[in-house]
Amino acid sequence: MANVLWLQGGACSGNTISFLSAEEPTVVELVTDFGINIIWHPSMGLEIGQQVTEILNDCISGKIPIDIFVFEGTVIQGPKGRGTMNYFCERPMQEWVREFSMVANYVVAIGDCAAWGGIPAVPPNPTDSTGLQFHKKQKGGFLGEGFVTRSGMPVINIPGCPAHPDWVTQILVAISTGRIKDVMIDSFHRPTTFFSDFVQTGCTNTRAFNEKISGGFGKRGGCLFYEVGCRGSITHASCNRILWNRQSSKTRSNHPCLGCTEPGFPHNDLMRGSIFKSMKYLGYLPKESATGESKLKQYFKAEVKVENA
Amino acid sequence: MLTRELNISPVGRVEGDLDVNVYMENGVVTRAHTQASMFRGFEKILQGKDPHSGLLVTPRVCGICGGSHLYCASAALDTIWKSTLPPNALLLRAIGQASESLQSSPRWFYATFATDLSNKKFSNKSLYDEVVRRWSAFVGTSFQRGVEASSKPVEVYAIFGGQWPHSSYMVPGGVMCAPTLKDITRAHAILSRFKNEWLEPLWLGCSIERYMQIQSWDELMVWLNENESHYNSDLGLFLRVSKEFGLDKFGQGIGKYISFGTFMHKDKYNHPTIEGRNEAVISPGGFYDGKNYESFDHLKIKEHVIHSWYEDHPAMHPWDEPLPEPLPSQHLNGTDFNSKYTWSKAPRYVDHNAEAGPLARAMMNANPANLPHQFHDPLFADIMQKMGPSVFVRCLARMHEATRLYTLLNQWLSEINLNDEFYIKPEERDGKGFGATEAVRGALAHWVEIENGLIKNYQIVAPTTWNIGPQDDKGNPGAVESALTGLEIEDVNDPVEVGMVARSFDSCLVCTVHAHDGKSGKELVKFKL
Repeated sequence: MANVLWLQGGACSGNTISFLSAEEPTVVELVTDFGINIIWHPSMGLEIGQQVTEILNDCISGKIPIDIFVFEGTVIQGPKGRGTMNYFCERPMQEWVREFSMVANYVVAIGDCAAWGGIPAVPPNPTDSTGLQFHKKQKGGFLGEGFVTRSGMPVINIPGCPAHPDWVTQILVAISTGRIKDVMIDSFHRPTTFFSDFVQTGCTNTRAFNEKISGGFGKRGGCLFYEVGCRGSITHASCNRILWNRQSSKTRSNHPCLGCTEPGFPHNDLMRGSIFKSMKYLGYLPKESATGESKLKQYFKAEVKVENA
Repeated sequence: MLTRELNISPVGRVEGDLDVNVYMENGVVTRAHTQASMFRGFEKILQGKDPHSGLLVTPRVCGICGGSHLYCASAALDTIWKSTLPPNALLLRAIGQASESLQSSPRWFYATFATDLSNKKFSNKSLYDEVVRRWSAFVGTSFQRGVEASSKPVEVYAIFGGQWPHSSYMVPGGVMCAPTLKDITRAHAILSRFKNEWLEPLWLGCSIERYMQIQSWDELMVWLNENESHYNSDLGLFLRVSKEFGLDKFGQGIGKYISFGTFMHKDKYNHPTIEGRNEAVISPGGFYDGKNYESFDHLKIKEHVIHSWYEDHPAMHPWDEPLPEPLPSQHLNGTDFNSKYTWSKAPRYVDHNAEAGPLARAMMNANPANLPHQFHDPLFADIMQKMGPSVFVRCLARMHEATRLYTLLNQWLSEINLNDEFYIKPEERDGKGFGATEAVRGALAHWVEIENGLIKNYQIVAPTTWNIGPQDDKGNPGAVESALTGLEIEDVNDPVEVGMVARSFDSCLVCTVHAHDGKSGKELVKFKL
């Protein structure tokens, strides 16, 4: 049994929508079989208006204990630190976030926005958005570098744009079944069980990667690393081991990995030439090399002529 | 006479960010204001960035309509870069749009709308116990099966786009994927599962073919009473509950409708132009003022900001509009509705406010002037003539689309030619573009200007902007504001009717990257609920 309060700040609701597509367990099974009690959720809560404010105040006073506070979307601090670009129940959302983070046993940031700011934090960052405990790659964010919850854990980040539903449901099940001590997190606070391998692990084009056969849009076969900017070899996530919507993944459907589980997504802040193109030095040498490979080794690879560049 | 002001923040299940302020006299709403309470500034983020940025960023404007944003973003660039689109690309884009919309049918009905019908307000009704048994949140028998079924259509999206939500597989010149036979056959099989688990046995209680024969309200009533299977299906129960609970009596709205049309025909949009768009859509667009149809012209759209928390400018077409400069905002209780009161802008067609969404599409489908390759479906012209719009009619229009989308998806899958092209690389160039679609919630469009190889201006008008937007320069209300006016609220401590009207529009507030003002004269007695 675990009480879950789920709120959204500067969000597109994509993580909620992704979560609703979960199977094994489904959202319904989480509630009926795994003792997840959703105190309130913007898309699923039955209460409206003043009824919601009362629930929230009861959570803060301790009348309703919060085991897990899930936050989706950025913490909007604009303008000028006041947070009034995002009102919720008559107060800037950032005030609610701070108070729930103090009373919850665990705080879980779902998606890149809540983890480290995501797309809303791309310059000029019009809403002064940040993540719960990171701002892009920098530790700190809204709650600060040293923040820990009542349980002693810092914010658990489940990144992705959106997060895969299984990454979310499995962590909720782990907490509600008393296995939280088995949840190990990396330096970006990501559960290692999902984020220690690379997207490339399980990609169906690894042979083309090794043989430097370049692929491209609308083509069958070939690796998307060389020309259209695939980040699967440098991105920690299990997209090719735990498939999306039980069917596929970006790289399996010939879609370059965008690197959305790494802080800094969207990478290079959407600068010209950075999207669906592999950035190169001198128009030739890849700017980024697969994690674990030296740039030099990568450059030797690049000298192999790329087919149909 | 006592005038009461009721503030509802949040309205909930509309993605969290819709607040409503209504003035009541003797329990009847005399005026309503809708407030979008969050600003994200996506259009400002896009300025000065790589022209492909819209493909990556705009699906993430809205987690539930990401495929629709992608459909617009890729089409807008197609019109600037003068792409050539192979038939396969047009089919696979339409399949993405349609599967995302089909996902929404059961998910919206069970998770967003029907749970309200289990509210104790209706406990004196004879059908209440059955409603609670089937449609209660999480524990209702149909709730579980419906929510589970909703994840099936987007499995088809994932086969071609890699994942749902938030893929960027539609690119100028076509699509990224190049599916093989197993992808097509698997997609057909997933759709069959959706049909066999939910659409036919649970929702319709009959075959898709039998349901699609219905052309008029009388024929729908004949269908309902034809046998127990129809009568006891979830659609059958919804028809009976709507009558008993009076859902056909409130939430009329403006009575004017806008649709941009969608699903570009595989052989009629291979050289995309803005001018050629109306003739190429399969789901027809247009403007309907309650009497007459007008063909759609994007140049007739202007956005008003007089009641929005942005620096003032005259009503302008999106191509000419400056990027939004946010102004100080207020929370609902502190808002002066005579001034600026929301983050949403107020789009207008010429000077008309209008409702966007499935009911608008249903009215366009009944237009006798539709071309041979476009939809011809007279049902909602007949229903609207017999009973006029309401929460019930709007919801019925939303659910009516499921059988058609299912049929089209299978047809389009069968038309993909595995030996033909999926993508033809276009040449990047500067210029102004326009891309549009019908998201499940209604008319969605992107206006883009590229200059010196970078985005100069990116303007998005979402269906929710039409529906929950504020008053315009002339003081005409937005669609939900209009639909709330005249509403009778039984219990001010549990104003479920307000939520039901808002949810009948399926407003997805997170779409409203823009954001409202009211006029009031009266001295109000305010009290906090």
